[in-house]
Amino acid sequence: MTAFENVAFIAAGTTVAAPLVGAGVLAVAGGRAGPRRVAGAALGIVLAAAAVVAGAWYGAGGAAFTLGDRLIGGSFLTVDGLTALLMPFIAVVDLAILLAAPRRALEPRAVARMLLGVATTFAMLATAHPALLVVLWVASAVSTWSAVRRSLGGRPTARVYAIVVGTAVILMIVGTVLLVADPPWERAHGTLGAVGGWLVALAVMMRKGLVPFHSWYPALYTGGPLAAALTATIPQVASYTAIRLLVGHADGVGPELVFLANAALVTAAYGAALAVVQRDARGLVGHLAMSQSAMVLAGITATEPMELVGALAVWVSSGLALTGIGLVVWVLESRAGRISIDTLQGRFADAPSLAVFFLLFGLASLGFPGTLSFVADDLIISGALGAQTHAGVLVILTTMFAGIAVIRGWFRIFGGPVTIDAPRHAILPRERFVFVGLLAIIVGLGLWPGPFVRSLDVVAHSVLAMPRAEEGPVPPGAKP
Amino acid sequence: MTGVEASLIHDTVAGLVSWQLVAPAATLVLIGLPALLGRPLAERTTTRLVGAGFTTSFLAALATLVVLVRRGFAPEVVHLGTLFEAGHHAATIELVADALSVPYVCFSTGLCALVNAFAGKYLHREPGFTRFFVLLALFGTGMNLMVLAGSIDVLFAGWEFLGISSALLIGFFHERRNAVDAALRAFTTYRVCDVGLLAAGVVMHQAVGSGDFSLLFVGRWPAATCGLPAATALVLALLLVFAALGKSAQVPFTGWLPRAMEGPTPSSAIFYGALSIHAGAYLLLRCGAVLDAAPAAAWLLVVLGAGTAIHGALVGSVQTDLKGMLAYASMTQAGIILAEIGCGLRVVPLVHVVSHAVLRSLQILRSPSAMHDRHELAAALGGPPGPGSWSVLGLLPAALTRRLYRVALDRGLDEPLVMQFVVGPLCRALTAAAAAERRWVAFLGGSAAGMGLPNDDGGTP
Repeated sequence: MTAFENVAFIAAGTTVAAPLVGAGVLAVAGGRAGPRRVAGAALGIVLAAAAVVAGAWYGAGGAAFTLGDRLIGGSFLTVDGLTALLMPFIAVVDLAILLAAPRRALEPRAVARMLLGVATTFAMLATAHPALLVVLWVASAVSTWSAVRRSLGGRPTARVYAIVVGTAVILMIVGTVLLVADPPWERAHGTLGAVGGWLVALAVMMRKGLVPFHSWYPALYTGGPLAAALTATIPQVASYTAIRLLVGHADGVGPELVFLANAALVTAAYGAALAVVQRDARGLVGHLAMSQSAMVLAGITATEPMELVGALAVWVSSGLALTGIGLVVWVLESRAGRISIDTLQGRFADAPSLAVFFLLFGLASLGFPGTLSFVADDLIISGALGAQTHAGVLVILTTMFAGIAVIRGWFRIFGGPVTIDAPRHAILPRERFVFVGLLAIIVGLGLWPGPFVRSLDVVAHSVLAMPRAEEGPVPPGAKP
Repeated sequence: MTGVEASLIHDTVAGLVSWQLVAPAATLVLIGLPALLGRPLAERTTTRLVGAGFTTSFLAALATLVVLVRRGFAPEVVHLGTLFEAGHHAATIELVADALSVPYVCFSTGLCALVNAFAGKYLHREPGFTRFFVLLALFGTGMNLMVLAGSIDVLFAGWEFLGISSALLIGFFHERRNAVDAALRAFTTYRVCDVGLLAAGVVMHQAVGSGDFSLLFVGRWPAATCGLPAATALVLALLLVFAALGKSAQVPFTGWLPRAMEGPTPSSAIFYGALSIHAGAYLLLRCGAVLDAAPAAAWLLVVLGAGTAIHGALVGSVQTDLKGMLAYASMTQAGIILAEIGCGLRVVPLVHVVSHAVLRSLQILRSPSAMHDRHELAAALGGPPGPGSWSVLGLLPAALTRRLYRVALDRGLDEPLVMQFVVGPLCRALTAAAAAERRWVAFLGGSAAGMGLPNDDGGTP
């Protein structure tokens, strides 16, 4: 085992251990410990460890590290390009959510549950083992369900979540069992494996909120706590699972992936179109998130690395931008309650800084030049249209509807006669710090995307088990 | 000319072109960043910085023009770098200094500098002072990016800057319902028509493997030709025309322009009297060779341009407010310019754009005081000054005049038709789908599922 491997595994383990310890401290000490301080320390360690994982992967020349036998397919511990990409991204998102969260949302048990959810997500990112993936799928679903159910008025939404995601979990378990029962499971050659592949695809569809199983996704935003909605959807565990279990067939794209891609494209356009007619700000964010995350899955099912590079770029760019929009809405709600966008709310005079941040994050989610999403959209549109014209048309329609929805939402929330006769609600320093920090990442990567896109290219080639132009063939053990 | 001289000239032009872009962009950062961090600059500092940015850009463009004139307008392609590469796709930043782009930058940055000076006084102590100048700097950056673009990708980036800055300035007085509605209408029209430019970019990439104009066109502007197959050229031309129609408020997308006058007068002058309204014309001038290769699209452009000109003249004649009248006058001239481009003219529309922009922006900037002067004159004379103007409509039969008058009062036929047959059904379908979604969620989870009940998110920030 090389030094890079050792470092990567220790750091990956830390990303799981730190939030578990934080959750333990909060469970024991309760409110005395200061939930934001404890969780902030835990997530700060997670972010640092995630950066170390990325550095180790980069330092080792983009090779994949695995630990444990390929017991029933896949290694227990896997650190590869996908891990190195997603860990820092998700750590930033989780830290931003924690720092911007209104004080009242930081009840110790709620924060402990959030940290358990974070630990589950990072554990998932560090494995490619099907059995472990299934266990972690169940754990993350239960974590979200529990957070929604315990929130005030969240039970009906938790029921919707339980029905759809519970079904997805069952399909996932059965599908994975069939996949591993028909080795070599990665290729799903036999009938059992093929059925397993389809069941896993169906589970991914449900967990991802693809049409026609999408209704729980925006409902989670409108009827559940925003922290739970963001932490459950922004990491996109279903996309991750699809990559680990379904993508990368040496013999091309399976029919289940083509089906998933088309459903994802329809969902992206449909979600963006529905976002245009939403009546409250949370519905807008939920539908935009549903649309953007579907776009990621559409690119993941690619045969060309460029499409996958585009999908990974959308994964990160839309995740950061939608986290920003969601947090601005949350911060606004903490001052004046739920925000309708049925009529003009006139909140600009009350919260001018939040208006600016909402607009900037909105533009950053729309492919605006100078932001990471411009790069991501360029890659995904070029890639998708290179392969299929209908895909390109749907992607272009998605960007059109999403643009109208975001600007409509902005004008409806902040435009109109002033309706709040109260002192101006100034933005807090920690809130400004979070928003400026997220924007700095989005704009920094948008203005200087070269190294980031090159890293994504390495990840994409590794996922598709294809050699890059400047490399030789990928060794058999490179892909878990 | 020796190789060393040519290289020296290229480096000089490259430096000057870079300055044309960097100066307004740097201004944007310098005034935008402090505002973002909650420490906006003082009014005078803001106007001076923005003025310095536009003046620098103008002087750099003027110097480039001198170099180009001395070289007989031989175009210089400036490669600013590669943004990123993935597989066979490379996003390069190509700019071009030629007989179209450099005079256009001179005129646009000159106008922006003048409007900046005017707006500094006009918006003194206005609550959104910094916001206005941030958006003006964003507009100037986008305008220069669009005009100097050597590829459709760079042009699209500038085009997007124009769209968002335009919409936000229409909604500048955000507390007014009309301003917000007008801004949203304008942005929606832009976004729909941007689909044309986005798709045109993709078609270009597929056709020639790149978005660079130097690969699409042969020869120098305005005599460049396009070697695309007829069918591809037709598709590309139709997409470009579609994109231009929205930005230049042509039939059937005219409805947003008169409403756009809700914005502050300086932005109305620079956007809808001068620069933004002609963005579509600039796009079609730059890609004129594609229209030459697709006569059907060129004829369509002539028909739509002429139709818009008639529409604008007719509806403008019944406007009761000065800015509305000027908006329709702008629309009329923009229609004539597009028709000229469709007829295959290149230099004439360029001259038309510049002369119209200068005159119209002056009229719009003068409009508030002109009304005041006219009222004073009328009071002094005891009646309206001067006889009413003569109109060709007076020659038409009375019944037809009455019918046209009714149509003009309704702002023409295009907007009601689009609303009735496209926007209305689409909105109704989406609203019905959203309602069905809510019912389905309520069925799954009980009556309150996903309905936005209060939860533990509210409270202390």
